[in-house]
Amino acid sequence: MKKSSILGIVVIAIAIAVIISTYSNTSTYGSFKDAEKTQDELHIVGHLNKGKQLYYEPTKDANYFSFYMLDKKGEECKVVFTGTKPQDFERSEQIVLTGQMRGKEFHASKILMKCPSKYTQDKIETTEATATKQANI
Amino acid sequence: MDTVFIGEHLTPGHLGQFFIILSFGTALLSTISYYFATTQTDKLDQSWFRLGRLSFYINTISVVAIGCCLFYIIYNHLFEYHYAWAHSSRTLPVYYIISSYWEGQEGSFWLWTFWQAVLGNILIWKAKSWEKPVMTVISLSQVLLSSMLIGVEVFGARVGSSPFILLRNAIEAPIFSQPGYLAFIKDGNGLNPLLQNYWMVIHPPTLFLGFASMIIPFAYAVAGLWQRRYKEWIAAAIPYALFAVMILGTGIIMGSFWAYESLNFGGFWNWDPVENASVIPWLILIAAVHVMIVYKNSGHSYFTATFLTLLSFVLVLYASFMTRSGILGETSVHAFTDLGMFWHLVIDVVVFFAIMVGLLIWRWKELPINKKEEETYSREFWMFVGSAFLALSCLQLVIVTSIPVWNAMFKTNIAPPANPITLYNFFQAGFAFVVTLFLGFSQFLKYKKTDTTRFFITTLVYMVVAALVTGLIIYITGLYKLKFVFMLAMFGAVYGILANAKILSEALKGKFKLAGSAVAHIGFALLLVGALIAAGTSKVVSQNETGVIQVKDFDKAGDARENIMLYKNQPVQMADYKVTYIGDSLVAPNHYFKVDYKRYGADGKLTEHFVLKPNSQANAKFGLVSSPDTKHYLLHDLYTHITAAPIKEEENMAAGTTEDGHEHEANDDKNYEPPVAYEIGLGDTIRYREGYVILRSLNKQPKLQNIPLTGSDVAVGAVLEIVAHDIKYLAEPVFMIKGGNSFDFPRKVADAGLKLRFSKIIPKENKFEITLYQQPEREKAYIVMRAINFPYINFFWSGTIIMVIGFVMSIFRRNKELKVV
Repeated sequence: MKKSSILGIVVIAIAIAVIISTYSNTSTYGSFKDAEKTQDELHIVGHLNKGKQLYYEPTKDANYFSFYMLDKKGEECKVVFTGTKPQDFERSEQIVLTGQMRGKEFHASKILMKCPSKYTQDKIETTEATATKQANI
Repeated sequence: MDTVFIGEHLTPGHLGQFFIILSFGTALLSTISYYFATTQTDKLDQSWFRLGRLSFYINTISVVAIGCCLFYIIYNHLFEYHYAWAHSSRTLPVYYIISSYWEGQEGSFWLWTFWQAVLGNILIWKAKSWEKPVMTVISLSQVLLSSMLIGVEVFGARVGSSPFILLRNAIEAPIFSQPGYLAFIKDGNGLNPLLQNYWMVIHPPTLFLGFASMIIPFAYAVAGLWQRRYKEWIAAAIPYALFAVMILGTGIIMGSFWAYESLNFGGFWNWDPVENASVIPWLILIAAVHVMIVYKNSGHSYFTATFLTLLSFVLVLYASFMTRSGILGETSVHAFTDLGMFWHLVIDVVVFFAIMVGLLIWRWKELPINKKEEETYSREFWMFVGSAFLALSCLQLVIVTSIPVWNAMFKTNIAPPANPITLYNFFQAGFAFVVTLFLGFSQFLKYKKTDTTRFFITTLVYMVVAALVTGLIIYITGLYKLKFVFMLAMFGAVYGILANAKILSEALKGKFKLAGSAVAHIGFALLLVGALIAAGTSKVVSQNETGVIQVKDFDKAGDARENIMLYKNQPVQMADYKVTYIGDSLVAPNHYFKVDYKRYGADGKLTEHFVLKPNSQANAKFGLVSSPDTKHYLLHDLYTHITAAPIKEEENMAAGTTEDGHEHEANDDKNYEPPVAYEIGLGDTIRYREGYVILRSLNKQPKLQNIPLTGSDVAVGAVLEIVAHDIKYLAEPVFMIKGGNSFDFPRKVADAGLKLRFSKIIPKENKFEITLYQQPEREKAYIVMRAINFPYINFFWSGTIIMVIGFVMSIFRRNKELKVV
């Protein structure tokens, strides 16, 4: 067999491997109900329940922030984030969480929120908070 | 409808809009003229050619004029224009006006057209016989880019987005029905504080010069196929391709440095879609350059060289589609939002993709494809394989980054990986291993044919040495805790450095030609070494161990307690350092937190002492925005940033005014615990939670503002020395009898958390009553911060610089080889 055909096969094989691994590594968007059924991390889109209190008391624990979120199906769940409260969290109008259920609480490893800007109606800003990124490259 | 608005300056906007239309028109004319100049058979007729040049010159002038109009508007704070209002403010220093210029999409598009115009002029001057076809392509790209700025309604759809749109047209609000609305718009939104950084002045122009210059190799490839000059275009395009790779690479790393210095995600690379978008075309062009050199030296791999060159620019456009169309939405922090240009950007990609595919099919049969097999032991073969792997690494980036695009195309609803960084690192490290290994041993091969025994001996010797060095590095830095693939990547990088160092040493002896590539390879490999160690073994030093339940799989993010809380003036032991939050300094609008680091040796002696000043800006528009501060050492960096602090915007605005609130006296007491009164004599001490207070002396003539004292009035100040956490403060509360009534003036020592009153004099016992107000623990000033240690990060930066030097050397070499006709 020609070298170039061998090389071509290798390249195609790797390309397929990349595609499959990407697909198997993708997460899913779901609801809190889905999160209860699975052990995997998943993404939940929803919004903050502004009626309930946000809890962040840095003097007691600088790494504990909790709030209540409603997912797209309207189900409410307590969310715990190991980290500081993202700035302007109260103003967020949409939240995307990444994480998993632990008991009755949803433990988020990442919070991505969209805030309406105070002044511009034509612009949406997005900010992200991640609990940890170190030591796991 | 016919309201006459007061105070608007419409001239610069009209002028700017005129130049936008002019630049679009002249770009179009230039494209058409150059096209006919290329295709016409009458070689003596120079009219199309002259017209093409002339219209490109006018295009350049109008692009510059657009820039001038926009600058005039922002510089003079003409907030009737949406762009000025949205991206600048009166308080913005002049040098940041430049960054506010490209905060918006329109400004960055302008920057791109500007560079493209500059490059076009260079080509008109340099390209000689290539000018006509090459400039056709460049003018076409200029047409598409300048159409992004038009902002005119055509058949009910707005085409492009103009930077000269008026505020009252951009936003609907009742205020704009008043003729004098402008009087109410005092100031603009200002620039995002994170962009108020000197790197943001220089990073976008560099990056866009990189993007813009990637059109040149593309244009040469198109010209080569079009004009059937299949073989010639490659040699002519190599220096430009090298230039584009160099500039884009520099721009990317500058962005990385900016992120490291002023963003708070805690690192220099985050695999964010926006970052990926700039790396994707860069990697492909690097692969293309290598295959072009292969073709030039051996006549092999013609199709791959052409294909990758063409693809690299299509990917630039695809990247700009991803970041600017708003499609990334939920997956990226700093992608632009949709300005209604989604389909416009799609068209841009499709046009150039069609050119690429169309030309390749059209000329397929004529392509000089070498049917002969490459030798296994030849440099060209392994360069080719290495480039294929570069392209594969790029494929992985494209596939994962484009997940939102797949969702939009196939109506699926796949979420990005839960832990994308781990995924990217794993794959890219694997590809980096292969690529660095190849860029190492292919140095020992020659073009066409190599003596195999000698090759195996040298390769093996260098492999063994590299393995030893790698083992040592892995042991010292603690890289062995990571996945095996990262160690492989480290081995590859070390091997790459050693092999290329050998070539470099030979080059310095005489074969100077080869020095450029060797230097660039060493730089690239060094960059990888730095990135691997710094990202792989960075350690959060502010880890909060107290009350943490050890979780088994630690890289399931969410349980590391990385933030530490510091009360003002209360030292906390953090790893090797004793850290104290010692105070604030306000330079409006920034709030700097002074964090004092002390390190003691084994004998208890102070070995190191420095203060870091991470800052936060409580910005009305952007909320609390924090920037880190970093202590740089030769071999590591200590990075510190504020994650939470109880500061408010008003507080910052009052910067500089001292607190002296008589009016709020009653309210103020609520901020303290119930007062305690002490009767003490001179020299006596009062102890309190954080230290003690000594009554040193009495001052018979205290300073009182605006209170005239008459004969019978008495005012006495108590000179108090306060020591809290080993820091001395002085305070002098005053007791006064005026007109038979007694008054007193309290003094606050905020840093010691105290308010002190000199409340009574008891002459009989020669005692004085001092009332102490202590601040409760939770009311006290505090910060929550995160500190990270990045080891060996300087390899990353120095690798970049070395790589750029290598590119410059290669450009000179390739340019010298070239005789342009």
